[in-house]
Amino acid sequence: MNGVNERLGAIIGEFADLDGREKLELLLDYAAGLPPLPPEYQTRKTAEDRRVHECQTPVFLWPEVTDGTSRLTAEVAPEAPTVKGFVAILADAVNGRPVAEAATLPDDMLERMGLADVLGILRSRGLRAILARIKRELAGTTPA
Amino acid sequence: MDYHSQLFLKSHAVKEHWAMPDYAHPDVLVSTAWVADHLTDPQVRIVESDEDRALYTQGHIPGAVEIDWQVDLQNQVVRDYIDRAAFEKLCAERGISNDTTVVFYGDKNNWWACYAFWVFKLYGHKDCRVMDGGRKRWELDGRAWSNDRVTYPHAHYKATEQDNSIRALRDEVLKHQRAGKQLLDVRSPEEYRGERMHMPDYPNEGAIRGGHIPGANNVPWPMNCNEDGTFKSAKELEKLYIRELKMKRRSPTIAYCRIGERSSLTWFVLTYLLGFGNVKNYDGSWLEWGNCVGVPIVKGAAPSHPTA
Repeated sequence: MNGVNERLGAIIGEFADLDGREKLELLLDYAAGLPPLPPEYQTRKTAEDRRVHECQTPVFLWPEVTDGTSRLTAEVAPEAPTVKGFVAILADAVNGRPVAEAATLPDDMLERMGLADVLGILRSRGLRAILARIKRELAGTTPA
Repeated sequence: MDYHSQLFLKSHAVKEHWAMPDYAHPDVLVSTAWVADHLTDPQVRIVESDEDRALYTQGHIPGAVEIDWQVDLQNQVVRDYIDRAAFEKLCAERGISNDTTVVFYGDKNNWWACYAFWVFKLYGHKDCRVMDGGRKRWELDGRAWSNDRVTYPHAHYKATEQDNSIRALRDEVLKHQRAGKQLLDVRSPEEYRGERMHMPDYPNEGAIRGGHIPGANNVPWPMNCNEDGTFKSAKELEKLYIRELKMKRRSPTIAYCRIGERSSLTWFVLTYLLGFGNVKNYDGSWLEWGNCVGVPIVKGAAPSHPTA
């Protein structure tokens, strides 16, 4: 057990016992907690490679490593609260933790939270792709 | 600012809701004002369908139920819609009977609302409407949201067999294409030209080949809508499809996109707003066509290959 998995384990536990509607309500709470994009990132939003092309809703992700620790900065349009909540959970879990721990984020976290069935096949696949991208980029990022 | 001054300020920037007489079937489209007047009408059930279903959880029209296109309308095993019995159960649980007026609305220009509308028509529901402008227009009009849990007493529902006059399957599309009949590709120009075969980072939703069905014209689905999410006027839509593309209302037409969702909006526009007599949605769409062995494909901006 490491820091990332402890944090995520607690979040999974929060979700696991809720009914479908309550899971979505909790996801909205996390979405509301995603900090606004710092001003220095605003100009970098034009970089097309930071954008996730998911059904035209703007989602921008910057997974970065500084001195061996992870930081996920993101901006997600308010029209996509599900993606926003999921990204907020990932940021919560990895921010400030050693980058090696980010690689241990469980690929089946949606199933363990019980969100996969609530969101359906295509949306879950979209969120898993975001998780995979964040893990891949954190693992491959050269320290800033 | 009160609601009426907001309306006044917005009236120049957005569509005037109370004037929709030019559409072929104007009754199928209702305004946010109409919905606000029927919130407690037992004859009316308001149904929200969204791309992001947490939007309904966050706030919906008071009394509206949710029908989710993925979890509720799609078969979770076979790539198909829920069967007739499951559709009957879904309606019964939402308090929808055969004679209920069902009003659909949602996010993204009513894209998913039109998809749900189409599935309801597939199972023969008579009185379906769309709230023009969807969530966006309800918000712009300054109307209230609710996050109450909504339940209704179970209703009795009897669906018909699937109405194949609005759904095209692959073999029929191939015949239609060979006969040179009207085809519409409603995806983005990049997808149409074959430059983008899948959404970046979504490889599993991709097709093996890129391009479009020979003969298909490209009218990206957002061209049907105004900034405020409402549908364009009959005049603008006629210009787009009839004057510019020379499409004929009486000729059979098939619309497709990537998985048949965006094209259900175009199907709605052609059928109900422009009065086309025979429009089908090819729900297999590019995700099927682009993976089929041996079917013809054209790349680039022209509908067909130049004849040799």
